[in-house]
Amino acid sequence: MRDILFAPPAALSPTELTAIAAGIYDLQPLAFFGHLRLQHSMGLSGVRQFLWAASFSSTSVLLAVLLLRRRAASLSAFTFLIAFYVAKTLVLFSLAVHFSIRSRPYALTYWSLSYVDDAIQFAVFYELVKQVFCPTGVWARDARRAFQWLVAASILLALGLAMLASPPTARWYETYLLRSNFFVSVLESGLFVGIMVLSSTVGLPWKTHAARVAQGFGACALTSMVLEGTRNYFGLGPGQRAYGVVAYIETVIYIGCMGFWIVSLWQEAPAPRELPDAMLMQIYTLQRRVENDLVRIRNWRRS
Amino acid sequence: MNLRSLLFVVLVGLVFAGLTAVVVRYALRTRRSSQATWEEILARLAHLDREKIAAIALDAIDDSGRQNFMLEPDAIWSMLGGMEGLELLEKNCQVLIELTTYVQRWHPEALVVAEQLRLNAREIEWHVGRLKGAASTGNLQSAFADYAQRAAATYYLMTRHVLELYEQVSFPELAQLKQAI
Repeated sequence: MRDILFAPPAALSPTELTAIAAGIYDLQPLAFFGHLRLQHSMGLSGVRQFLWAASFSSTSVLLAVLLLRRRAASLSAFTFLIAFYVAKTLVLFSLAVHFSIRSRPYALTYWSLSYVDDAIQFAVFYELVKQVFCPTGVWARDARRAFQWLVAASILLALGLAMLASPPTARWYETYLLRSNFFVSVLESGLFVGIMVLSSTVGLPWKTHAARVAQGFGACALTSMVLEGTRNYFGLGPGQRAYGVVAYIETVIYIGCMGFWIVSLWQEAPAPRELPDAMLMQIYTLQRRVENDLVRIRNWRRS
Repeated sequence: MNLRSLLFVVLVGLVFAGLTAVVVRYALRTRRSSQATWEEILARLAHLDREKIAAIALDAIDDSGRQNFMLEPDAIWSMLGGMEGLELLEKNCQVLIELTTYVQRWHPEALVVAEQLRLNAREIEWHVGRLKGAASTGNLQSAFADYAQRAAATYYLMTRHVLELYEQVSFPELAQLKQAI
């Protein structure tokens, strides 16, 4: 999930361009709540104010749901990611107030946190994979191999498409930023779609909280891939409005995703009927016996 | 628009369309599967003579682990119903897996059994695939007994283990399942 919302003006210095393109989204939710000085200096429209306020509010509500409904224990990485989003907005806002959003500290902090954001998202992915594929704490053997293929294929696909992109930009780091965002969105699309396919194939429950989080990520990643692709096609050239339009759409999708998670995580997941320990042991014994029987069958030799 | 940009747009469009199609297909499949009743799953089970399957399996290896191999290849062919019978057996494997994942809806621990059944089903697919290959090269007769008997024995074990799983979770329709498989 990317969170940039701004059509960068053409006549800005590299630092300004990067800082504004990067930071405006994170600032505005708070600017909306009373910091009119910033709001005035950025010339914000009513739609933008609403979108930013809605995105910050929905993120905060989701964090509250995760904590109040005690989902944080089973979705610790996801809770951490949502808390990180809230904290990031607060930190960036403080920096903007003290240094301005066109300052170097602001730009450096924004981009550093963006990479931390990506790292946490991959941690969330691993957490979901473990919950979906290892509900008993043991990896399904065939699912594990398929999962390894999925990761490799997603990386190759994302790398190939990112290398093919040639966004019209004025500076090398703009190209790098656009490409790296696109790479992450394609990679996440592949991974989350892969989770859906694998969990459907192995018949794993699809209404658990972990599955709902994965569905939200999948939908966001897929649309993000198209939007980042659009950004890479149009680039950051002078007079380009595509960047801003894409940011609007992205924010609407982000808010929709937050809404989906708030509703899904507020509700209780269908409770599995837990087997008594003795019965659980019987099932594991059964599996071992099946394996032993199959070894015998594989070793047949017809005389 | 230069060639590289055009290629980029086309590829991104194709990847997006492909991934979306995959998501829709599997989401529908998951929905159908999660809404299917036990009776609907059971109804998909093709009729196979379980006595004959058991006889073929136990001819190769009985409960005490002894190998007999008394049945002639012609008898195995006739008891299984030739390649058609084997193909039915292959299809039934999928139903057995669904019957296990049905239990998994309430008892996630059944995952380990479902996983094992999936591996068994793949093994049977492999045996049937080898036989189809042999049929296309005219070597079906020599290969049939070996591969078909392995497939039948693996299938037989699958049915036994599905029944045991249902017994362990005290599934109410166990008797009906025993009749069917």
